[in-house]
Amino acid sequence: MTALLALIRKEFASLFALPTAYLTLTMVALVTALIFFDHLRIYNQTLFLYATTTMGGFSSDEIPDYINLWDAVFFPVMETLGLTLIGVVPLVTMRVFAEERSRGTDELLVTTGLTPTTIVVGKFIVTLLFVTLMMAVSFVYPATAIERGGLGFQHLAAVFVGLSLYSIALASIGLVCSAFASSQLVAAVSAWAVAFVFWDFAWIHPFVSEGVAGFLDAICLHLRYGSFAEGIVSLENIVYFVGVVLVALAAARFSFDLRRVGA
Amino acid sequence: MRVEAIDLTRRFGDHLALDRLSLSIEPGEAFGLLGANGAGKTTFIRMVTGCLLPSDGTVTVDGISPSASPTAVQARLGFVMETSRLYPELRVRSFLRFIGGARGLSGSALATAIDRVIERFQLESTVTRPIGNLSKGFQQRVSLAQAFLHDPPLVIVDEPTGGLDPLQQAEVQEILRGLRGRRTLILCTHDLHEAESLASRVAVLRHGRLVAEGNAKEVLREGETLDLFRSSVGIET
Repeated sequence: MTALLALIRKEFASLFALPTAYLTLTMVALVTALIFFDHLRIYNQTLFLYATTTMGGFSSDEIPDYINLWDAVFFPVMETLGLTLIGVVPLVTMRVFAEERSRGTDELLVTTGLTPTTIVVGKFIVTLLFVTLMMAVSFVYPATAIERGGLGFQHLAAVFVGLSLYSIALASIGLVCSAFASSQLVAAVSAWAVAFVFWDFAWIHPFVSEGVAGFLDAICLHLRYGSFAEGIVSLENIVYFVGVVLVALAAARFSFDLRRVGA
Repeated sequence: MRVEAIDLTRRFGDHLALDRLSLSIEPGEAFGLLGANGAGKTTFIRMVTGCLLPSDGTVTVDGISPSASPTAVQARLGFVMETSRLYPELRVRSFLRFIGGARGLSGSALATAIDRVIERFQLESTVTRPIGNLSKGFQQRVSLAQAFLHDPPLVIVDEPTGGLDPLQQAEVQEILRGLRGRRTLILCTHDLHEAESLASRVAVLRHGRLVAEGNAKEVLREGETLDLFRSSVGIET
């Protein structure tokens, strides 16, 4: 436990000693704000259009049901945020293992007596905490939409849990890519590629059988993530995200064995 | 602490990095491993530290196989890598606190160990500075300090003076000279004079093979060995 805590402290010190962490947090806050206010602007313009006298004034009967804060702002924001996170999270995870390797400190880490499992778990915990912090920063705007939409705390909590689980799954994919890559750039690009592939398999449906399409849907990120956005917290989805994390951690741990073999 | 290799072999695909190396390093001995770049020194060290598995043969540290029980071996050794293989963004004390923690030290034992190495390696003026802002000589002292934090019976030093200027080389060599005799020291280098002045016994590697082994002064004054070594590092004889 002492070794794990020492590693966690060191990882935090390393992370916040560089501008990357601050830049990432700032970028996430800015991009989320931009996405949110852009959708809010469109929503307001649509409302204004319906509110003009030629459209019947401010009478709510004249405004179609689909013009609401929920469908016009919240869902599109969550959808865009999901894709944005695919772009941002690998920027955080790319350095985790690849940087150690590129500067030759990976063997220093191992020879201090830290087991590969401790190293993987320690680095994962720090990444998880950072990603949760990132979510807290980016969640302000969807939370505002939920609050103004009158959907209540439970829905808010479901969305936050979903967003965090989704981000942690992305971070796990990023960690695996970093564990197998020697350069940070390769780690980031491969994490983007894997995450985009797993984002949505709908495009492949016309080319595969119904069974395969069902399986691909079961492992795609988009549908699981979308279900939380609707306020549904199902055990199945939680197990899915936890499964992604466990498989990723096992793969990252395996990368240490491969290096010992010299592969 | 005794280190023993028997027919130790390591292949990377078709390349034979270490070819049936057999040698024994006795407890308390300062042992020099000499060879040009690519001779197999670092491959041997990586197998002793448990970072790499042998293709054939065995290596043991105090009777323990690093392949089977890497953490047991790593707990008994301190490893000094070439300069710059540190965390430049960390401050010296934070770095030492991390290494000590990773070694299982905590509380007053950790504080005492850190103070001891800071004093021994004369790092007092640098403890609050980021490692990346230090000169290469001081970075190498930090690297040495981390290896001695847990007072290990075996210390492995890989190219300790690589990339240092002559003054810094002399400083580091002086520190290493003071550490001999109290523990087993394995020194990897391609510097003949460094090996002669620091090691009591040396082994010369060439293309992964052991070409000479014995008393440092005798081996390094043997014309044939010297010529062989010089030709392997590209020095005209």
